[in-house]
Amino acid sequence: MGEVILTMKGIDKSFPGVHALDHVDLEIRKGEVLALMGENGAGKSTLMKVLTGIYKKDEGTITYEGKEIEFENPSAAQEAGVIIVHQELNMLSHLTVAQNIFIGREIMKGSMIDDAKMNEEAAKLFKKLNIDIDPAETMGNLTVGKQQMCEIAKAISHEAKVIIFDEPSAALTETEIEELFKIIRDLRDKGMAMVYISHRMDEIKAITDRVTVMRDGTYVGTIITKDSTKDDIINMMVGRVIYEDPKTQSNVPKDAPVVLKVEHLNAGKMVKDVSFELHKGEILGFSGLMGAGRTETARALFGADPKDSGDIYINGQKVDIKSPQDAVKYGIGYLSEDRKRYGVVVGKTVAENTTMATMEKFMKGLFINKKKEDEVAWTHVKALKTKTPTVDTEVVNLSGGNQQKVVIAKWLTRDCDILIFDEPTRGIDIGAKSEIYTLMNELVAQGKSIIMISSEMTEVLRMSDRVIVMCEGRKTGEIDISEATQENIMHMATLRK
Amino acid sequence: MAGNDKKSKNFLVSKIGGQQLIVLGVIVALFAFFCIKSDIFRSYTTILSMLDFSYFVAFMAIGVTFALITGGNDLSIGTGMVCYGIIGGFFVTKLGLPVTVGFVITILCGVLMGCFNGFLVAILELPPFIATLSTMMIARGLGSIVTGGSSITWPADAWFKNIFKISIGEAKYPLGFVWVVLAVTIMTIFLRHTKPGRYIIAIGSNKEATRLSGVNVIKWHMLAYIICGMFTGFAGVAYSATFPTIAAGSGAGLELDAICAAIIGGTSMYGGSGTIFGTLLGVYVMSILKTGLPLIGLQANWQQIITGIVLLVAVFIDVVRGKKN
Amino acid sequence: MKKKVLSALLSVAMVATLLVGCGGSKEEAAAPAPEATTEAPAEEEAAAPEATGEALHFEIVSKGLQHEYWQAVKNGCESKAQELGATINFVGPASESDIQPQVDMLNAAVEANPTAIGLAALSTEACMDAIIEAQSQNIPIVGFDSGVPGAPEGAILANAATDNYNAGVMAAVEVFNLIKDKLAAGAVIGVMCQDATGESLINRGLGFIDKMAELVAAEGLTVTVQGNDKYVSDSKVEVTEGADVTLEVKVPASVDNTASANDATALLQTPGIIAIYGSNEFSANNLVTADGNIGKLGKEVVGAGFDSGETIIAAVRDGRLAGAITQAPVAMGEKLIEMLYAAANGETVADVDTGCQWYNAENIDNPEICQNLYGYTAAE
Repeated sequence: MGEVILTMKGIDKSFPGVHALDHVDLEIRKGEVLALMGENGAGKSTLMKVLTGIYKKDEGTITYEGKEIEFENPSAAQEAGVIIVHQELNMLSHLTVAQNIFIGREIMKGSMIDDAKMNEEAAKLFKKLNIDIDPAETMGNLTVGKQQMCEIAKAISHEAKVIIFDEPSAALTETEIEELFKIIRDLRDKGMAMVYISHRMDEIKAITDRVTVMRDGTYVGTIITKDSTKDDIINMMVGRVIYEDPKTQSNVPKDAPVVLKVEHLNAGKMVKDVSFELHKGEILGFSGLMGAGRTETARALFGADPKDSGDIYINGQKVDIKSPQDAVKYGIGYLSEDRKRYGVVVGKTVAENTTMATMEKFMKGLFINKKKEDEVAWTHVKALKTKTPTVDTEVVNLSGGNQQKVVIAKWLTRDCDILIFDEPTRGIDIGAKSEIYTLMNELVAQGKSIIMISSEMTEVLRMSDRVIVMCEGRKTGEIDISEATQENIMHMATLRK
Repeated sequence: MAGNDKKSKNFLVSKIGGQQLIVLGVIVALFAFFCIKSDIFRSYTTILSMLDFSYFVAFMAIGVTFALITGGNDLSIGTGMVCYGIIGGFFVTKLGLPVTVGFVITILCGVLMGCFNGFLVAILELPPFIATLSTMMIARGLGSIVTGGSSITWPADAWFKNIFKISIGEAKYPLGFVWVVLAVTIMTIFLRHTKPGRYIIAIGSNKEATRLSGVNVIKWHMLAYIICGMFTGFAGVAYSATFPTIAAGSGAGLELDAICAAIIGGTSMYGGSGTIFGTLLGVYVMSILKTGLPLIGLQANWQQIITGIVLLVAVFIDVVRGKKN
Repeated sequence: MKKKVLSALLSVAMVATLLVGCGGSKEEAAAPAPEATTEAPAEEEAAAPEATGEALHFEIVSKGLQHEYWQAVKNGCESKAQELGATINFVGPASESDIQPQVDMLNAAVEANPTAIGLAALSTEACMDAIIEAQSQNIPIVGFDSGVPGAPEGAILANAATDNYNAGVMAAVEVFNLIKDKLAAGAVIGVMCQDATGESLINRGLGFIDKMAELVAAEGLTVTVQGNDKYVSDSKVEVTEGADVTLEVKVPASVDNTASANDATALLQTPGIIAIYGSNEFSANNLVTADGNIGKLGKEVVGAGFDSGETIIAAVRDGRLAGAITQAPVAMGEKLIEMLYAAANGETVADVDTGCQWYNAENIDNPEICQNLYGYTAAE
């Protein structure tokens, strides 16, 4: 374990009405990967923004390479070698890889940009990092994983001394994550100091050396990764113990009727001949790697994207679903993986979002019955324990978990019998996660049926009664929960043609 | 209805804290400023004229607010308004149809153009800026074609001229203002308290999420443009009532007055937010400037610069607000 | 953004007016010519070369078609052309600010290889290339309306035009006769102009301002001029503080009815106002519009207009406007065709002042006058 390169001590930061950071400490060492963990809103991002000069700290000191410093702005931080690789990639998809890496400091030949030279330099850089990417390739043609690697390469080319990874794995496949880890280990061996922010416990265990935990804007503590268990870390994060036991047995009676039957569904490149059945009261897990076609299957089923062929039966009746309107009419609700883009209308209130799919129930003649709308919205707020000051609060002000609850409320108002949860807990902190799980269990107990798409193995094993596994647009396996293991699911998820 | 009033008041109170209150303050300040600086400005006739010349802008602005709220725009309203007025007038003066028929045709033309814009934007999914830029040009040419390039003068005694300005004895009253206020009230209720209004805002805020909620977004998106077109038709009527002679091919640039008014009034260019009341306030900021600036001896080019600066400030506020969200 | 809008607008305006132009030439060709030449607009390019020498064809590029004024010119052209057995194609851009579309139209006109071209240029400079091209093809060009000011020697054979300055002078004389008795210290005379860029409009304003100042001074009163900088500096009037009579020149920020009517509203309420002169149809229309709320025209204030159109004619008839100047657009059209015809036959042509007239409630129905008034209908 190397020497300390950067120390943050007693960092304090307040925004109007929020004490975002309360005297937080952090120590980053050379040749080490430090995990920074905490639930959403714990202050991780704020701390990193203070470090890189996006926010000014109110109090505290930052010592970097033995000198006390305060970066004026992110480019000053970059100049000094402190670089963030963001969760959302800041890539210009129309430019080439090399052009992206050298953006803002193009290599010139006279007054012209020397693309050949930039390609050459980028190629050297990739070679050093053992990354296999063509520098002349257009960025938009790369997978998210490759793009991430370009971002890392870019950081290295800035002569980074400290690299901060902000949820780097959120959009990566298992293989890509492995490649990423290889690069990170390689950099660590070369003495790079790194901070790794993630929600995924497995990755923390796999890649980091120490874990610093934050909670509610305060510093909780730092532990050595290999000396601690998952539960230790979780306990530090939430202040309480949560057990994530897998389900061992299906809760669905053997004779439960089939509520939804999909036969030979084809849609675009990502859905190829998918057939399955969903029973009343069942949680049907859809597992697979990124890009396996699970979301696309759900969207085609819901009418959000056009389907090429295939039949859908609801309660034994063949139905023709051409648009989300049709799907909603047949009692299907869809909770998108990307809530901000497809789930909630963030600029509208909790009440307005709740009634979005069921407007006609709230009409009094030509006008909206605001009183009834508010009442119903309140009922759901209470039932789902949504944390919102009023139902007239704009959804943009709620946390991810509470936004998810608003979307659930929308479909509950609609009285949907079939709910598609696409990554129901993505970006949601651990406390809220278990509330969503409880809610899903209550829903199936009431006789509703759920299709749950999830990329988190623990979630699939914990929630599903049955698991369907997809790979490259095809269904590659179907297994009862009693027989499902992480290993056999992963095996099916990688059954390429 | 009482309940609705109370709600809209609550709504106003919560929203008026922002841009609208500022704009209201600006109106009062500008009005006071010009009253002090110019005797002519404070005369009843000047106010009357100012109102006269604001009706058509107000109708256009109410209409375009709907297009803006969906996150789009409608550039065809300026030349469109003139074109519909000309076509309506053509049927009356050249073909000898009754004024009422011409009146209906004017509005109908607006609705049809709204349908066409809606078709381009909502169904063909063309970018609104380009789609309506095209129809702006089409409208400009169309009016000229119908009249063979000449201008149109509606009959001086056309009945609808009296619904904008009523004379009782010697005194004249700006009756048109009543219609504008009525339109603002109705469209405010429409936007805030009816299903189509709710969906139009939702589309501007997040079209895809709205679609995935099972809402027929194409229909409501189109409706926003049809409303815009219909109000442009109303504007055509008001314009015809105010200015006796309408020149074919004119009207380019007037849409910018209306769009400026909506944006000054707090309608976001990003879509999803805006109020009709705010738009009305914006219309009067523009009107007061247009009337007042020449009266304090400011030369023409300076008037445009000042109007430009006012718009910049409004856009800046919108951008700051957009960032906050 | 505005730039984009503008350039896009320009291009469409061109298309629109081309359409209008084509429609027009179809009509006019229908009456005199046999069926074959009726199809002229579509086949013009192909047909023109072989037709030269026999059938006369004139391309006429005007400043726009939006004012009825141009329709009257067109009418004059058409009737004369019919008389002389020539075909014409009369075009013009959508507005008088569409310089580039007009250049494109002129290029198309040269391309069509006509016997001669009539041109009222919006911008001489912009039209120069096309004019030179026409010269190289030996296509004579005759200017009309404001002509082609500043064109190099020999490029334009002659002009058929109203002398706008003289027209302004005529308006000043007529208005002066009506206000002579009211002239006193503190009197204000308003002048409304559409813009300060068009040569012909500026001359109409300046003619009025210069003559009016001269006449007032002859009464023993001092005069000053204020308002739009261009007019103030180009007029012959000395700017003097505290003069007895003020000439107030208003030019709106843009060619927008509201802005112009606002100017008129302000002028009508200016203390001491005794007369207002609107120097074209746009200005005069808005003067009448603004008076709708005030009712001073024809009473305390003498109104005078320029050009015609239904609104102005109605106002002249009922006395709100004391009178207006009309150019002789019909005569201008006729003269233009005559000159083009003469030029085509190799005769020499010289400048012609197509003249102007003052009309009021008394003489408006005089055939000499009313043939030049577009929007005219006989009194019941």
